[in-house]
Amino acid sequence: MFLKAIIGLVGITALWGAAVPIFDVPHYLLPGPIDVAERLIFLFQRGDLAWHIYVTLSEVFGGFVLGAVVGIAAALAFARFPLIERVLTPLILLLQTIPKIAIAPLLLLWLGLGAAPKVALVAVVTFFPVMTAMLSGIRYMNKSYADLSHVLRLSPWQRFWHIELPAAIPTLFAGATVATTLAMTAAVIGELMGANKGMGFVLATGQENADTATVMGMVILLSFVGWALFAILDFARRRVEDRFL
Amino acid sequence: MIKIEQLSKIYGQGDDQVVALEPLDQQINAGEFVSIIGPSGCGKSTLLRLIASLEDPTSGSVTLETANLKRPVGFVFQDAVLLPWKTVAENIRFPLDTTGVSRKQANEKVAELVELVGLKGFEKSLPKQLSGGMRQRAAIARALADDPPILLMDEPFSAVDLLTRETLNDELSRIWQKTGKTILLVTHSVEEAAYLGSRVMVMSPRPGRLKATYDVDLAQPRGEQTKRDPKFLDLVSELRTLMREMTS
Repeated sequence: MFLKAIIGLVGITALWGAAVPIFDVPHYLLPGPIDVAERLIFLFQRGDLAWHIYVTLSEVFGGFVLGAVVGIAAALAFARFPLIERVLTPLILLLQTIPKIAIAPLLLLWLGLGAAPKVALVAVVTFFPVMTAMLSGIRYMNKSYADLSHVLRLSPWQRFWHIELPAAIPTLFAGATVATTLAMTAAVIGELMGANKGMGFVLATGQENADTATVMGMVILLSFVGWALFAILDFARRRVEDRFL
Repeated sequence: MIKIEQLSKIYGQGDDQVVALEPLDQQINAGEFVSIIGPSGCGKSTLLRLIASLEDPTSGSVTLETANLKRPVGFVFQDAVLLPWKTVAENIRFPLDTTGVSRKQANEKVAELVELVGLKGFEKSLPKQLSGGMRQRAAIARALADDPPILLMDEPFSAVDLLTRETLNDELSRIWQKTGKTILLVTHSVEEAAYLGSRVMVMSPRPGRLKATYDVDLAQPRGEQTKRDPKFLDLVSELRTLMREMTS
């Protein structure tokens, strides 16, 4: 599988490399793969690209943790107090229908140009998939676990920590996988709209300077980083899921 | 002591009403071993769940002498209900971990219980790696872990093979004698009910109600000789006749 993916990537890169001179595409429209690679190496050496990647990843990580914690807490509150769910669900669904790009400018206005609005945007997009995953994890939990909790007179915290959270692990992983893809997008959108650091900022700078090689390089790099996050999560899922199903 | 007064349970409403248990009065003294038998739908499980307050009664009440304890009753479920993400040892230790017993003390207790139910060598296994019978033994060990004065058991041995079942019966009888626990055991088996109980409650279905109670006048400790005792054999055949009448 992995080998085939690599062959596919190499093949497409070769086609791209061959197409540029054959069709005589102007450099400012479509630079060849070697130009893009050279530009990326240059950005790593001169332009602190590694640091920009680190900035974006920490926004993704911070926002993800924040959104997941709030999502899990909200799911618990909904499961325990159905009234809260009935009151808040329409509001949450309404918020979900707003395009996330439209919230970004608002968050930038409120929270400035630093990391805060990006973290907030990542948290907003992470919240929903994690919250629904946790809620369905609790809802479809083996009914007998509730009996066991009752017989052992578990405290709400014990019930959450020893039973509800582990019981929801498989659905939580499904939710988190959806959330990572959204989180990466959200962080970059935030950076594109106003930032002085991060991968989205480098991308935006490339666009302003009509530097197609930088823009393409960043797009490729973003897809690789997104894929790596997905792969890490998938690896973790396979490691633990066996035990929780 | 367990005092049951006019306890009843009705599921559903209007035309869909099902009477799971007709008003029932019973007093079970501390240290008794009460077997509850009856065909499916006689309300025996419902009665047990009402005593454990896993269900709310439609009318009447259950008064437990142990009501002021953190955990008034221990409960063994029909289908083990082990937590699949915890190992056998962690599952057995769970009631101790959640009451602040020190890890060292808890581990000693677990080692003792693992020996008792014959799961030595499987402490680190996950529940799904065990057979149905072994899972049930782990569940029994868990119910015994924090030494509940009242132990409610809902057909705990139905998934266990016959030989293990007899061993566990003897073990349960021994634990009861040694600890003086009050035990209520719901079972399908008339032999098991008569062999273990100091009293047998027979229930009949549709609607669920108490049909008869028998005091079991058999010498303690019970063992192989009990199964040849004419009094035991008489009781078993009487119970069986009663059960057959109800199901025909």
